[in-house]
Amino acid sequence: MNITTPVPVVLPKSPGFWKESWQRFRRRRLAMLAFWFVIFLAVVAILSPAIVGTKPLICRYQGKLYFPCLGYFSPRWEAAFSGSPFFKRYPLVLKETDPNSWAIWPLNYNDPSRPVAADEWPDRPANPQSSPPSRQNWFGTDSRGFDVFAQMVHGTRTALLVGVVSMGIASAIGITFGAIAGYYGGWIDIVLSRTIEVVMCVPTLILILALMAVIDTPTTWHMMAVIGATGWTGIARLVRGEFLKLKAMDYVSAARVLGASSPRIIFRYLLPNSLAPVLVPITFGIAAAILIETSLSYIGFGAPPPNSSWGKLLQLGQTNYQNWWLILFPGLGIFLTVLSYNLIGEGLQEATDPRLREGGGGH
Amino acid sequence: MLNYLIRRLAIGALTLLLITFVIYGLIRKMPGTPLTVDMAEMDPSKQISPERAKQLAAIYGLDKPWPQAYLHWIGNVARGDLGRSYSRKQPVLKIISERIGPTLLLSIPSLMISYLLSIPLGLYCSARDGKSDERVISTILYMLYSFPAFVAALFLQLLFAVHLRWLPLFGMMSDHYETLGTWGKTCDIFWHALLPVTVFTYGGLAYDARFIRANMQEVLRQDYIRTARAKGLGPVGVIWKHAFRNTLIPLVTLIGLTLPGLLSGSVIVEQIFTWPGMGRQFFESITERDYPTVMGLTLMFSVLTLAAQLLADMLYAVVDPRIRLED
Repeated sequence: MNITTPVPVVLPKSPGFWKESWQRFRRRRLAMLAFWFVIFLAVVAILSPAIVGTKPLICRYQGKLYFPCLGYFSPRWEAAFSGSPFFKRYPLVLKETDPNSWAIWPLNYNDPSRPVAADEWPDRPANPQSSPPSRQNWFGTDSRGFDVFAQMVHGTRTALLVGVVSMGIASAIGITFGAIAGYYGGWIDIVLSRTIEVVMCVPTLILILALMAVIDTPTTWHMMAVIGATGWTGIARLVRGEFLKLKAMDYVSAARVLGASSPRIIFRYLLPNSLAPVLVPITFGIAAAILIETSLSYIGFGAPPPNSSWGKLLQLGQTNYQNWWLILFPGLGIFLTVLSYNLIGEGLQEATDPRLREGGGGH
Repeated sequence: MLNYLIRRLAIGALTLLLITFVIYGLIRKMPGTPLTVDMAEMDPSKQISPERAKQLAAIYGLDKPWPQAYLHWIGNVARGDLGRSYSRKQPVLKIISERIGPTLLLSIPSLMISYLLSIPLGLYCSARDGKSDERVISTILYMLYSFPAFVAALFLQLLFAVHLRWLPLFGMMSDHYETLGTWGKTCDIFWHALLPVTVFTYGGLAYDARFIRANMQEVLRQDYIRTARAKGLGPVGVIWKHAFRNTLIPLVTLIGLTLPGLLSGSVIVEQIFTWPGMGRQFFESITERDYPTVMGLTLMFSVLTLAAQLLADMLYAVVDPRIRLED
């Protein structure tokens, strides 16, 4: 008898769900464009002190290296220069107090939270008030002489941070509530679903205005917390629905028979499978959160200075319509950002929805 | 059906109690009371004495802890009394009824225009799916859908009121409104309403058209559509008679859910156009710490939202006999 040794059949590994989704997402040109635009905004936000500012990126002062530009992220990081003789005005004082000092400057010398005075920088005149775009102030200045370009660039940080952090909070709350309600069901589900309904029925703006007014000195972080605390209901309902659907499936019963604990079933079996549909409302939620932040800042309920926000620029623009640059640039910024997140959300939806796959529904 | 209705109404009443309780607590916790906010705006000579302030606080019920004041308020509401505004010295009901008109003046035309345009647009797009003109329209609709209303309001003001000077910048009537005849008055309000109505309309229009198109795409894949095509029915017959009628169910729900928006107005857009509607009243009342008016408006918005949800669910059952409400 001739025994043939079995030849192992090597099958190519089929691409995973996320890889396949990413490939489908990449095929959508507009969604990819939006994706790159958001990456660009993120780069602008991170590098904002290097693009426009009045603080050196790096300076050598009295034999030591400093990074005063980090002061735009937190005032603590430029504490060495906040007192005499600097008072946060670098160019001339650096040279006067230490002739051997050197510094690397941002691309554009302007500040988002104060007008640049005359002779602060050699041969640079003071910022004019309400000036249209010029070589010195690329996007013009507002009625206080603050540079609009600087406020736009530093406002990018606020916009992106608000979107991501508040939706992070919202999805944490929403996924937790939805998962618990969907998995355990029964009276827990009834109580949580009622809670979701109550929060859904409260007009969002009322809730946000009231919460913001309760806080004595609201900061951007408070605003993110408030937006997150009011924006989780849609996510919670979706996760609950997904869990209700998934927990009845055979593989979950199999896991239970094998003795998997509830946390293991929730985190290993249910959550990863319900994540794809939840990503879509999260992306749309980021756009909505940015909108809420800008409109709150616009009606004057935003974070106090020195936080720059696109919404605040619009508010300045509305007090004097002749200064069109105060409305056009931030307005376009808000529109493009919101549009990008919406396009990404739409792309994700079509990339991850099994019903819309080629060959799935078929037409 | 009756059982379902009774249960939903009971749950709705409970939800209302919870919402109003939470909002009442929140607005009472806001810094400042109607008395102090009022005083800050008056000149010092007219400031009320501490004794008088205490007296007024007692009259308004501001000296009581807020849960007690809430019970008092909800008791009055149950008897049909929404209270009197602190800052305007008028019954809350009168203030609300004065503001409803201007808000409806914007919201009803905008709702009608948006449905009149979005249904043909949505159907056209689904009929020409994948063609170049459909792509252009869809892209424009998507851009409009993503265009924030308050940014659009400012851009339109900048273009049509400041730059071209064709339309008034804000307000509902001109200064010389009283001197105009009936026709002149109508025209005056029409010119003032043009920009706000546009701002209210375009977003809903884009959303509805996309919504209709998405539903149509779902329906057009069904077997009965293929059957209809196979028996030789023209594209109009297929789209209008077979497909569109079956997308009416989600559309009806959507219309139901937009109803509260008719009355609630928009805080920000009304603020931009200084339009004397509900949203603006709400914003003013919050800044004046006018508790009774804020609560009256909150109650109204919440009742409308709950009613719309109930209505949408009931309409669902009426339009689609397969859906039963007993659950």
